[in-house]
Amino acid sequence: MKVPTEEELAALVGTAFPGGAFTFEPWWVHLVNDCALAPPSDGAASPVFAFLAGTAAMGMSWEEMWAIFGATEADGPMAGETATEIFEPLRTGATYAVSGEIVSAVRKRGARTGVFDLVGYRLELRDTRVAARCTSSIIFPRRSL
Amino acid sequence: MIGEALPEYEIGPVSAEKMKTMSALMRDANPIHFDPAAVCALGMGDRVVNQGPLNQAYVVTMLARWAGGADRVRAIRLRYLGNVFAGDKLRAGGTVTAVRGAEVDCEVWLEVIGGAKVISGTATVHKGE
Repeated sequence: MKVPTEEELAALVGTAFPGGAFTFEPWWVHLVNDCALAPPSDGAASPVFAFLAGTAAMGMSWEEMWAIFGATEADGPMAGETATEIFEPLRTGATYAVSGEIVSAVRKRGARTGVFDLVGYRLELRDTRVAARCTSSIIFPRRSL
Repeated sequence: MIGEALPEYEIGPVSAEKMKTMSALMRDANPIHFDPAAVCALGMGDRVVNQGPLNQAYVVTMLARWAGGADRVRAIRLRYLGNVFAGDKLRAGGTVTAVRGAEVDCEVWLEVIGGAKVISGTATVHKGE
């Protein structure tokens, strides 16, 4: 798979995800809270649910996301940061429209880390208005550069 | 209040079984979360790796216990510094850095007990009625 040039990488900013919709089904919310050791009474209120729903309904798999950036799972893409804002509490049973796009993509060089690409993407969950926004980054190691 | 340490929250040992369930719930095919052989092949040891959102959730729970519910956590920004492995025991904590009426800003962290910090970041919680 071809690693994009710095110019090609920069041109990917603004790429929109197909998007979709996500429903916080009660059984799914219950099991996520169980895995997270969180009380069932939290429902879908934790900001973590914004990330989980956003990435589940962004309209592409992680492998498809990696492919946009000329990478595969074997290249070892890693989560960098996640920033979540909650504007309205997310509700169990509710359905949200999910949209998103690539918001940044830059190549960096570190003395210890070598060359890597830092890619930012933003996902929004919308009811009648934006209920939550999640901006995250992925680090793509570029061992071949 | 500024400089106040948040009550620490201890987690674990982290369960490999919950990681398997979480992989299914997230439809996350990455085998490092459910197959020790895949972790071994990457030279990362022989214990499966916890999902980032679960690590994030432990920090949210620490804040929720202090603030009175997960719905009080209005914003959170976290940087992933390292991996959490099955069997690890963790500690989450934080410090108040600013107060704006009912909104309280905090620095937050998650560490492996006896090991390294694996998450650091900031959060805003609502402490009013």
